[in-house]
Amino acid sequence: MPMALIELNNLKKTYRVYQKKEGLRASIKGLFKRTYKEVQAVRGIDLSVEQGEFVAFLGPNGAGKTTTLKLLSGVIHPTSGTASVMGHIPWQRENDYRRRFALVMGQKNQLWWDLPAQESFRLHQQIYGIEPNAFQQTLDELTDLLGLRELLSQPVRELSLGERMKMELTAALLHSPEVLFLDEPTIGLDVVAQHNIQQFLKYYQEKRKITILLTSHYMKDVAALCKRVVIIANGQIQYDGSLSGIIDETTNRKLVTLQFADPIDDALLASLKRFGDIVQHEEPRVKLGVTRDDVPAMLTAILDSYDIDDLIVEEPPLEEVIADVFVRVTESSDEQSPETEPQ
Amino acid sequence: MTGYRPSYPRVFLTFARNSLVRDMSFRTNFILQCISTISWTVMNIGFYLIIFQYTDSIGKGTGWGRDEFFVFLATTWIINSLVQTFFMPNAQQFSELIRSGNLDFALLKPIDTQFVISFPRVDWAALSNLVMGLVLLGYSLYQLTTRETNPLIIDWRALLMYPFYIVCGTIIMYSVMITLASTSVWLGRNQTLYNFWFYITNFSRYPMEIYKFGWGMALYVLFTLVIPVLLVVNIPARIMAKPLDTMQAEYWRLAGFSILATLCCLTLSRKIFVRALKSYRSASS
Repeated sequence: MPMALIELNNLKKTYRVYQKKEGLRASIKGLFKRTYKEVQAVRGIDLSVEQGEFVAFLGPNGAGKTTTLKLLSGVIHPTSGTASVMGHIPWQRENDYRRRFALVMGQKNQLWWDLPAQESFRLHQQIYGIEPNAFQQTLDELTDLLGLRELLSQPVRELSLGERMKMELTAALLHSPEVLFLDEPTIGLDVVAQHNIQQFLKYYQEKRKITILLTSHYMKDVAALCKRVVIIANGQIQYDGSLSGIIDETTNRKLVTLQFADPIDDALLASLKRFGDIVQHEEPRVKLGVTRDDVPAMLTAILDSYDIDDLIVEEPPLEEVIADVFVRVTESSDEQSPETEPQ
Repeated sequence: MTGYRPSYPRVFLTFARNSLVRDMSFRTNFILQCISTISWTVMNIGFYLIIFQYTDSIGKGTGWGRDEFFVFLATTWIINSLVQTFFMPNAQQFSELIRSGNLDFALLKPIDTQFVISFPRVDWAALSNLVMGLVLLGYSLYQLTTRETNPLIIDWRALLMYPFYIVCGTIIMYSVMITLASTSVWLGRNQTLYNFWFYITNFSRYPMEIYKFGWGMALYVLFTLVIPVLLVVNIPARIMAKPLDTMQAEYWRLAGFSILATLCCLTLSRKIFVRALKSYRSASS
């Protein structure tokens, strides 16, 4: 059986962290006797990604997304389990592997702070052994696409956050990696900069057919870029499939908005409640959350008894559905297994 | 692309160049740093000139008279400046990279991680100390070779061995430093680097003969055999400042041991470094 480009099997990462208690007295006690707890950041992830896929990792903070990316880029060692990326075991940190991928982190920067980005790029050229012609060509292409040309000679510390992120992306792509890990590349950016980066990634991925794993909290990033979404919460994969599939699979709710010809009184509101819960009431409209299967019957009943000017039936917004998933997963895991076990 | 090896000297030159560009962009800071370093060396000389008002030599019958001792002092400065120029800022930065989780990027690069951690910053201003060291060395050697009684004749072997042992000494200091910085992986934070540097150089900057009495022997053994920092300055300084023919057998043995110690320190620090990388946790996201 041919292996996928990226394969994870039952990958686990557990951290042992010092449990600091509040207050000075407890801190002094902590000098002598320390209590630790085990934090299971990743609890057994199985995943396979094919060449050319653009996959999004979604999940609440602390879900294990970043840890997974760090494991895949070999920055940290797993507690157990296996992973292979392009036939390499990431944490062996072979140079042949490290030349073929890149990691970009929205929260950390690798460019020399006091120097123009150009200087850091030249350093990359030497470390990765990029031929001068190829280097210049790639750099020209990237700077044109991202609109960075005039900023190349400005010290990085004088760039805006958005500009800096684009420079970080450029640095990461100079050696033409085949696999790209992006950890919240648009964090803290304004809408325009976010959009620019999305457009760039979309274009670049389609053109170069590289494989990208992305984590982001912005649903817009995900909707614009990824066909496949993996939801991670509590260190485990909760969903793996298409973006639209999340709605089909995880909720059976529809939102029905009714616009009434006559003013809406309390009696009317009360009688609507038997169809579903009232999400919003704003004259002359009422928005109801209704179970999917009940929608036809409900519409028939309402159209029969009321004078309706307009009506909309729609899926609940993606953010809400995903937030529901996060909450549900977190609650159920709290019941099943306590997140931490004292040592 | 496979099998490609980056050219380490070229990468190093780029590091050095980038550091220089950086230092130059903060010109006043750079100049102030040079001035403060030079004033410190001048005060140092003044201090020892005062000491030599009261005595003819450091230790009775050790042969460390004023000019011999100034060769010793120059050697101390040369080694210190090499360490401070090339390694001190990097060891400190390494410790900080571990704490902040920014070591990630170093681990991603297709190049030896210890190299990329040890050399990215060059503190050019600290080189002013090297210049001062060379000036003092030249001056004291001139004094020694031209004095009327018993002038020093410089042996060509000494001229070869001196730089060799300077390099050995620098490597020992580097190893101690990178080992200390590596422990940040387990300790979470290790700010003892500067303190440690201060303590160690305090011991290593005097002729080793002064420790060879009573309880001083404990220090002598500790800093010669266990943490061999006493060898760092003493071996090259002894070779340069006094005639080689009069070098006692014990010194020759120590000089041989010094090479062994250099290799051991380097190997051990490399092992500890690699172990540390395995335990690296990559703080925050």
